[in-house]
Amino acid sequence: MTDNAIQNSSSDTGHTGGASDAPTGSSGNLIISCKDVTVSFGDFQALKGISADVYEGEVVVIFGPSGSGKSTFIRTINRLEEHDGGTIIVDGIELNDDIGNLDQIRSEVGMVFQQFNLFPHLSVLRNITLAPQKVRKMGREESETLAMELLERVGIPEQADKFPSQLSGGQQQRVAIARALAMQPKIMLFDEPTSALDPEMIKEVLDVMGELARSGMTMMIVTHEMGFAREVADRFLFFDEGEVVEEGTPEHFFTNPQEDRTKLFLSQIL
Amino acid sequence: MNVADTQVTRIERSTIDRARKWARANLVNGTANTVLTLVSVTLAAYLIYTLTRFVFVGADWEVVDVNRRLIFLGRYPKEEQWRIWPPMWMVMGLGGLSYGMLSRGSLRDLAWLGAAVVFILAFLATTTNGLLFGGGVLVSIAAYGLGRLSIGRPLLRSKLRLVTIVGWFLVIPFAIILITGFGGVKPALWGGLLLNVLLAAIGIGVGLPLGILLALSRASSLPLLKGFATSIIEITRGGPLIAWLFIARFVLPAFIPDAFETDPIVNSMIVVSLFTGAYVAEIVRGGLQAVDRGQVEAADALGLGTFNVTVFIVLPQAIRAVIPALVSQMIALWKDTTLFAFLGFTDALSGGQAAYNQAAFKGSQIEVLVFVALLFWAVAFGMSRLSQRFERVLGIGVR
Repeated sequence: MTDNAIQNSSSDTGHTGGASDAPTGSSGNLIISCKDVTVSFGDFQALKGISADVYEGEVVVIFGPSGSGKSTFIRTINRLEEHDGGTIIVDGIELNDDIGNLDQIRSEVGMVFQQFNLFPHLSVLRNITLAPQKVRKMGREESETLAMELLERVGIPEQADKFPSQLSGGQQQRVAIARALAMQPKIMLFDEPTSALDPEMIKEVLDVMGELARSGMTMMIVTHEMGFAREVADRFLFFDEGEVVEEGTPEHFFTNPQEDRTKLFLSQIL
Repeated sequence: MNVADTQVTRIERSTIDRARKWARANLVNGTANTVLTLVSVTLAAYLIYTLTRFVFVGADWEVVDVNRRLIFLGRYPKEEQWRIWPPMWMVMGLGGLSYGMLSRGSLRDLAWLGAAVVFILAFLATTTNGLLFGGGVLVSIAAYGLGRLSIGRPLLRSKLRLVTIVGWFLVIPFAIILITGFGGVKPALWGGLLLNVLLAAIGIGVGLPLGILLALSRASSLPLLKGFATSIIEITRGGPLIAWLFIARFVLPAFIPDAFETDPIVNSMIVVSLFTGAYVAEIVRGGLQAVDRGQVEAADALGLGTFNVTVFIVLPQAIRAVIPALVSQMIALWKDTTLFAFLGFTDALSGGQAAYNQAAFKGSQIEVLVFVALLFWAVAFGMSRLSQRFERVLGIGVR
């Protein structure tokens, strides 16, 4: 992939606004490259040819109206949804039907879900240590030390021996972040991580995510928290009806959005 | 002195008050409820009176006393009786250990266990048997103590957990090897309650894992595996157990080459395991469907891979959701083991029938049947209580 490809990444969506905004975190290498990605559910085409690139260390926020395909798109990056057209290359590996590739990519890409999806039958500690032990073949002591470090990092080391049901929503989501980080992923995907939380718990999760962004993690975040997004994001992608309508820096979106659909949506949520 | 007195009175009064309040709320609130209460109390009193009168006055328990061996062991040879004790001690020890690790002994459970011990001791006429059983009870109590000790000691607990799990896995093979091996007793000579217990244990021990495998196969996306599992399940469930037992006993041998000919009771055990497996498979399949899709997605997203996702994430949650149904199936199997009487084996029930058909004990059906019923009920009730306790312990991690 050359820089040319990035410049043209969303040219097929016909917008002009974002192409000149060079990704601010682009010091690193290209780590996710999507070209003309399509996904269909039966007759309904959820993604109509998405092209987007992400560089190492970049934080990309995806937003748009519900049903616009933003969650579907982020889920194709670790193949929780299979794309039926176009190519997705993650860390140099193309996503296809080859199962070996798939597990390798999934262990490099952490994911945080709207509904947390913690394993209810396992303690908080075990939720975090299971994958490092089974996939990375890490020893028990080593993985538990790592898990405690991560719980420390997300601010709830005292909850290690509890079960998910004994935690608040915000605490559960922070455990979910620690669980994903335990695989030492190169990329973290966040699919509306605060949408299922009570308002008073949103901040504690966003704080953890902000700290993660500042530490240099490559992140793709689907969120409606525009204030937070403006603070941490290097780049925004605005989705509507399965397409990237507009792309650019946060400043571009807040001061000078180009497309009518973008302006309309921003006026509704801000 | 005075202060203590008033305190006691206060406590007593509050207890009485509470009882009175409870009675008012639950027994005599409204005319309909009061009538219902009166009817139930009268009925219960009458039943308890007749049963007690029968047990202590009317009944002549000699028939049970004389035929104890027949009911408990059938035609099992007396000189090989020692082989039964070690597995029994193992079960008692493991039972005590598991109970101790799972929960604090409740007074009610203790009362039931005590009653069971007294009951069994009363029927182990010889001193030797009584001592051997008493030793088992001591082992059980010691194991319970050890289990309690492990609470708050993670290292000891993880070791004990390993011992318990491995122990429960080994107990059935151990029992079978010790009973049949080293010039032991052929399955054809197993009998009485021992036969029921062994059949149920084998049915559960083989049927449960088999059922889980069948359920996973049926839920798999591989068409051949799925089709194979589905046909086994549907064909097996299509016939009554008794029909399958007859087929195993009389039809199958005609098709099997002589070289592979097995003991008829072994054939029947295979059939029972398969039958149980088919029902377990459908129960577990229900559990698999109850597991939230997000669980699999989250596990997939960690790169755990199909095997790990199934073993560590999906199955534990699926089985936990269907424990009541599984235990119900186990209890059904426990009682279905009496069907083996139709194949000519002497289980506890048919041993009992043989007892009251003896000329000396004409007309003593009630004594024998009440006794056998009590044996079956005690085991079924024990299974039910144990599963409730297990559910409560597992409940910690459930949403």
